[in-house]
Amino acid sequence: MTRFRLPAWFVLLLPAIIVLAAVVLIPLLLSLYSSFTSYRLTRPDSLYNWIGTFNYEKAAKSAHFWAAFGRTLLLLTIALNLEMLLGLGLALLVNQVTYGQRALRTIMMFPMMFSPLLVGFQFKFIFNDNVGLVNNALQSLGLSNTAIPWLVDGQLAFFSILVAEMWSSTSVFAILILAGLFAVPRDPIEAAKVDGCTPWQSFRHITLPYIMPFIYIALAIRSLDVARAYDIVQIMTNGGPARRTELIWTMIGRTGYVDAKMGYANAMGYISIFLAIFFTIYFFRKLNAARAELGMGG
Amino acid sequence: MDENRHHRLRARTLKGLQLFALFIAMCFICIPGLWVVLNSFRPTVEIMAKPPVWIPQDLNLDHYRAMFGGVGEGGVPVLRYFTNSLIISVTSTVIAILVGMAGGYAFARYQFKGKAAIFIGLMLTRAVPGVALSLPLFIVMARTGLIDTHIGLILVYVSLNVPFTIWLIDGFFRQVPVELAEAAEIDGCTRWQAFWKVEFPVARAGVASAGIFAFLTSWNEYALASQLTRSTFSKTMPVGLRDFTSEFTINWGGMCALAVLMIIPALILTFLVQKHLIAGLTFGGVKG
Amino acid sequence: MRNLKLTALLGATALAAATGAASAAEFDGVTLQAKLIGGQQYEALYARIGEWEAATGAEVEIISKKNHFELDKEFKSDLAAGTLGWCVGSNHSSFASQYPNLYTDLNPYLSEDFVAEYVPSNLSASKIGDALVMLPRAQFDVSVLYYLKSLYEDADNQAAYKAETGRDLAPPDTWEEYKAQAIFFTDAPNFYGTQYAGKDEAIVGRFYEMIIAEGGQLFNEDWSPAFDSEAGQRALAWFVDLYQAGAVPPGTTSYLWDDLGQGFASGTIALNLDWPGWAGFFNGEDTSKAAGDVGVIVQPQGSAGIRTGWSGHHGFSVTESCENKEAAASLVAWLTNEDSQKLESAGGSLPTRTAVWDHVLETSQSDPFRSEAIAAFQAGSEHAFPAPQTPYWIEATNLIYPELQAAILGDKSIEEALGDASEAVDEMMQENGVY
Repeated sequence: MTRFRLPAWFVLLLPAIIVLAAVVLIPLLLSLYSSFTSYRLTRPDSLYNWIGTFNYEKAAKSAHFWAAFGRTLLLLTIALNLEMLLGLGLALLVNQVTYGQRALRTIMMFPMMFSPLLVGFQFKFIFNDNVGLVNNALQSLGLSNTAIPWLVDGQLAFFSILVAEMWSSTSVFAILILAGLFAVPRDPIEAAKVDGCTPWQSFRHITLPYIMPFIYIALAIRSLDVARAYDIVQIMTNGGPARRTELIWTMIGRTGYVDAKMGYANAMGYISIFLAIFFTIYFFRKLNAARAELGMGG
Repeated sequence: MDENRHHRLRARTLKGLQLFALFIAMCFICIPGLWVVLNSFRPTVEIMAKPPVWIPQDLNLDHYRAMFGGVGEGGVPVLRYFTNSLIISVTSTVIAILVGMAGGYAFARYQFKGKAAIFIGLMLTRAVPGVALSLPLFIVMARTGLIDTHIGLILVYVSLNVPFTIWLIDGFFRQVPVELAEAAEIDGCTRWQAFWKVEFPVARAGVASAGIFAFLTSWNEYALASQLTRSTFSKTMPVGLRDFTSEFTINWGGMCALAVLMIIPALILTFLVQKHLIAGLTFGGVKG
Repeated sequence: MRNLKLTALLGATALAAATGAASAAEFDGVTLQAKLIGGQQYEALYARIGEWEAATGAEVEIISKKNHFELDKEFKSDLAAGTLGWCVGSNHSSFASQYPNLYTDLNPYLSEDFVAEYVPSNLSASKIGDALVMLPRAQFDVSVLYYLKSLYEDADNQAAYKAETGRDLAPPDTWEEYKAQAIFFTDAPNFYGTQYAGKDEAIVGRFYEMIIAEGGQLFNEDWSPAFDSEAGQRALAWFVDLYQAGAVPPGTTSYLWDDLGQGFASGTIALNLDWPGWAGFFNGEDTSKAAGDVGVIVQPQGSAGIRTGWSGHHGFSVTESCENKEAAASLVAWLTNEDSQKLESAGGSLPTRTAVWDHVLETSQSDPFRSEAIAAFQAGSEHAFPAPQTPYWIEATNLIYPELQAAILGDKSIEEALGDASEAVDEMMQENGVY
């Protein structure tokens, strides 16, 4: 009597696959289908109105969409790089401290306790032109005598969003890079010191290669998670004024829920998913390369 | 002699600069957060005052009192939200860890075709933006009657957290030598016993770090929760924050008070497990 | 105690009159699920639900309480998923036309006499075609002009304004005069002449009423855009000029109603076109620095001699899928009947029933500020008109407002902005098969 047995690895992976299929895959297929229809939330029967690639063509031809796409790409690139550098700096500083490090590490993770929604409200008030913390401070210190419109001026609004996003996410980089610093072996650094290497040289040639995998892990995690910035931007500016801070996500949210044009929103959603996939795969490649360099591939 | 002193002076200056930089960095991290905490104790007129009131004149617990008060006094069902959040976050974290452990073990211990592709595929499910997922998910949940239930949200958070959990835990199991488990099996343990007695203890730190990330994600998630919860029966704290915005106004002081209640448990938990967290990330990352 | 009983009795009578049925416990065992607007100023009315439950034997379960923007999202999701088991929903005249199939016509459940007690203009703004899809509650909104009285009483101001313009300084009756005075009063960054809602539906609503005051239209009869016109340019120029002159706070394009209300209450804004709900707040000692100094008059008119008057009101609707429409209609009637509206308008909001208007005018006589405000709002409501009654109103506002902002901030010229907005709205209307 031969009984067919599923391979053990498959059985072990099954729960994960089932849950992800139910929660992510099925809804995604539904939205993929609806992106080829003229689906409007307020008219449920429009779900069966097949219009081919009309929505995709519309998005592809829309200057506003590509402007938002470009802006999202720009924001991601700047934010991820700056967060990485600041996180690295922060981790190095905390790593130097010997006394009270536990408390410092907890403080370092403080922003991670803040829901992105809250971060949005928080920075909206901090950057308010009339009663905001920043303008109040500048005016009280005599550094400025005008109400700086942080959330209105194109560049300043982008900057304000960037600050909020970085405040909420630099911790993730710092904590992962700090973990990397803990993994760096002491011996080669001591040896390098004896050989007369400057601190910069030993950092560049010994420490950095060790923490590179951690940096790429952080980048990969963050690029998977970036759409969290939606909550922040939606509250702070909702893409305005005059589309100056419009990101793909705010555009999708408004088109889908306020304009009720779900078909079109889902088409744009798919394009944005490809953006996230591109970033993630890119960082995965980098991660594997960095691991291979350390002889830990696999 | 002179050169030595010069050297020491330079080292000391450097140390001082480092501490100064650390102080500035900590200020940037803390001030926006502590500002929220401070506002929760101040009356709204003082928060919004123009010209600003820098030294708090009137610290009180009014916002907290109002929040716990009845309907019509600005009361918000805080305790319901808190319990919902706690049930949903803890349960989904525990399940995500179990599912993630099984998955991570599979990736670490077995060789099979398409392993890399399956791995990347699982990770990419996390890349779908919440705003694009929320409506189709809502429709599916509505059809299955899972709208406005704890189970629905738990399921969603499990799926959000499973990819990262698999990734971290996979790295941990890899650093446990296969021989160790095999030796245990030879000593008469079943595979199952060998797992719990030998492999799991080594991976504990990884589980802790995956757990804290999973917990914080579930605790703070808003975009999906706002769609999938409807009433106080399942509303979580981040959705509850919205109770302080009405048609045209926002009660910022009250929102801060609820925010403080959200932050405290997360902060305590992080402080308790962060030693494991660092250790967990260290090994999980490199060996992955 | 006796009073309470009397009210209950009166209520029950009114209810019976409303529904044309007499038995007290006619809806025994019925449970109605409701989605209502939340917020302090709307809560007082909900206490009366208990009385209705006692009178009819039915039970009301409030399953969702949010503001209208969030409720709107929820209704749309419900339509999409078919989760329409609930019966009573809070509605708003500006949102109502978006969901023509969601709510049922209330006419069959109400007596004609009962319906006739509402203010006719409010009633007609509660209809889609001939179907009465909502009953208006005492939350009628039209904007009038709030101003700081002391500015006009100041002799230096009077002399300086006369010297500058040759006119006497008095609260403005035209939007042109309003603009001149706003620029005159401005002393940035501490004091601004005025401010306006700068984003979302809010700014489009303001633009809409301004274009009508200038003699134009937002839409033609067939719903094609009509705002790319001379009148439209004059209307938009009003916003642009004030911004470019620095007479509004630089952040005004990100302001919504709460920012505006807080701004005027801080005493740093001279002129403010705003809603009735703020009157008490503006003149309250512990909420406003402008308390005691607030004047209220009817809103100014545009160059066409027409006053602005974009208006809206809240109401309650019954879903088409409701299993017990009689009970739901009875609840909706109860929440908007004379007693309910008296209770609600005592909080400062405007009624939508003729008899309650008289009641409000009468009771406000002892309070000079309140009677000044009520007089202004009564005058203002005579010029009121609802938001365009198209299912695509909100969608159109999302296309129009970024262009208005672009002109205000100087990214585009007025002509370019209106041209682009008009083109986008035209495309959207065609895509939706409107024409």
